[in-house]
Amino acid sequence: MSDRVPILRIGENLLVSIQIDLDDQTVMNLQEDLAAQVVKYGARGVVIDITAAEIVDSFVGRMLSTIASVSRLLDAETVVVGMRPAVAITLVELGLSLGGVRTALNLEQGLAILAKRASAGAAGR
Amino acid sequence: MTGAVQLLATGISAEQDVFALRRDGRAVAEIVGLDPQDQIRLATALSEFGRDRIGCADATCRFSLRAEPAAILEVALRWSGGPAPAAETLLSMRRLVRELDQEIGCRRGRIILRYPVAVPLEDFAAAAERVTEALSMGVAASREEDLRAQTRDLIVALEEARAHGEELKLLNEELEQTNSGVMALYAELSSELEQTNIGVVALHAELEDKTRRLREASEAKTRFWANVSHELRGPLNSVIGLSRLLADAPPEELGEAQRQQVELIASSGATLRTLVDELLDVAKAEAGQLIPQPAPVDLGLLLAELEAVMRPAVPNPGVALVFPEPAGLPALVTDETMLTRILRNLVGNSLKFTESGHVRIEVAVSGSDRDRIEIGVEDTGIGIPEQEQARIFEEFYQVRGPHQRGKAGTGLGLPYARRLAELLGGSLTLESAPGRGTRMTVSLPAPAAGAAADTPATVPCLVCADDDPAFAAVFRPTLTRLAERVIELRDGADLLATVRREGADAVVVDLDMPIVDGYEAVRLLAESEDLAAVPVVVVTGFALADVDMARLGHARAVLAKESVDASRLARALGLAPLDEGAS
Repeated sequence: MSDRVPILRIGENLLVSIQIDLDDQTVMNLQEDLAAQVVKYGARGVVIDITAAEIVDSFVGRMLSTIASVSRLLDAETVVVGMRPAVAITLVELGLSLGGVRTALNLEQGLAILAKRASAGAAGR
Repeated sequence: MTGAVQLLATGISAEQDVFALRRDGRAVAEIVGLDPQDQIRLATALSEFGRDRIGCADATCRFSLRAEPAAILEVALRWSGGPAPAAETLLSMRRLVRELDQEIGCRRGRIILRYPVAVPLEDFAAAAERVTEALSMGVAASREEDLRAQTRDLIVALEEARAHGEELKLLNEELEQTNSGVMALYAELSSELEQTNIGVVALHAELEDKTRRLREASEAKTRFWANVSHELRGPLNSVIGLSRLLADAPPEELGEAQRQQVELIASSGATLRTLVDELLDVAKAEAGQLIPQPAPVDLGLLLAELEAVMRPAVPNPGVALVFPEPAGLPALVTDETMLTRILRNLVGNSLKFTESGHVRIEVAVSGSDRDRIEIGVEDTGIGIPEQEQARIFEEFYQVRGPHQRGKAGTGLGLPYARRLAELLGGSLTLESAPGRGTRMTVSLPAPAAGAAADTPATVPCLVCADDDPAFAAVFRPTLTRLAERVIELRDGADLLATVRREGADAVVVDLDMPIVDGYEAVRLLAESEDLAAVPVVVVTGFALADVDMARLGHARAVLAKESVDASRLARALGLAPLDEGAS
């Protein structure tokens, strides 16, 4: 039950695709692994795909926020993609807005956001 | 129509239970036909509740279907043995669930969630059964899945444990290998050490062998010298004798020139014989054939004789040969012949290499206990360079240089002198600086204190008390050898008065006397303050075994009349030993 969520590297970005219903331990492992990988590869962006997650309760929601904050400290932007409508509604009803976490409808748009940011950053230099 | 149908009941104690509860809630909601959003809401609400209640002693969740007033899904959450749920949790649940009743006590509580379901009331029982059936299958399947996952986890853990064990085994093997390596190294080192040891032992044996051979060679050399010099002396004596004879031939047989040549032959022969004699002496000393025969030596006389011999040998009128005053020289017990040879060698050597200035002989007593007598021979000659100073005591070694010109020598004088000094229990040392001169010092042991010199051979006045005139007459010559003045008494009665009056230096008493006997006389002498220091010797005709020694503690000695003689008496009185033969 303490499975690890695979983390894939696509260029400067890391992709986390959650394919199972998240339990608490898995989420905590994910936070540690992701931080380590961001540092290891010098990633500039992280995409977390929660398409498969049916239930996001307050704990998991807070963990997503935490992951985003940690990644930002490590100079990587986090985008959560593929949230189901029911999950979104539940999160709002719970009073959680995932503050500080960028969201996108799907993986494609999430990567586009990161690419835009990267080019903006490069142009800014 | 029954009021309620139990669907499912689960307990909450660990984190996994929250996950299971969430999933069960979702499954129940789906089977009873709640819309998808409500399914998620219920699952999320259960998740929030379950996480909040993990620490409780007992928490349960019970799902049931109720038929009145309308068909509803009721979820009853109960707990005991824990604090009330956090306000935040309750708020979240309220937001997610439309109908919620709560009864929260101090240590226990109950929350009821209600959802209306689309189950027709008239067919409630059948519908409920369907739901139960579906649920049991689904839940059972998911439970089985959980079990399988747990088994998987267990297998993984076992595998890990096994791998760990393997690793340990590997480490152990490595350690064992290291250990054997260390052992091998140790063995190698000890074998090396052993070999070195064997080498050292062999070296030691070799050294010993070398030492033995050296000693043998040295002995052979000495033997060779002794033999050769001995053999040389014979023909040499003939040459000297014959040349003398020839020189004494009448003038008509030998021209003046020939006579001079013959005299040269004679004197050269004499020089040669001196050298050969020296060689023989050294050889004898080396071979240990010279044994010193110590006797009291009058150093003044010895030096006077030496002066008589050496004076003519002074080569240059500019050199003063200075001897010490004969009076006050310390007494010496040593071998006179050897000491003379040593000094003759040293003085001769000094004279040989001194062009001007002086050669001075000095005598001094030294040592912390005044136990050494040093005889120094000091010259103002050419001196000896420091690097040569150790070598001049080697046989046949001579300092090279122009000073050698016209000076005969074998290079044996100094080694011989040192060898003799060592035989006499002394030493020969050297201080020298080139151009300033040389000082050779012979250091000899002084005779044991009290044996000679400082103690006189006689006392000025001796008082003897003995009632036997015959013995006194026999004894008188003995006493006169020890004292300049002898006063004889016939009894101990006026002994003290006489000793005091005459200022006697020694007292000899008989034991058996008519008025005051020897015991009493000794006691009186011991008790009188002024006379207690005068030495007393008892001479008795009694057998010594019969004498009461305890009463004669003050006496220096108790001697028997039949065996007493001058030397015993002298020793008893603390006088210098008598030179037998002298009167």
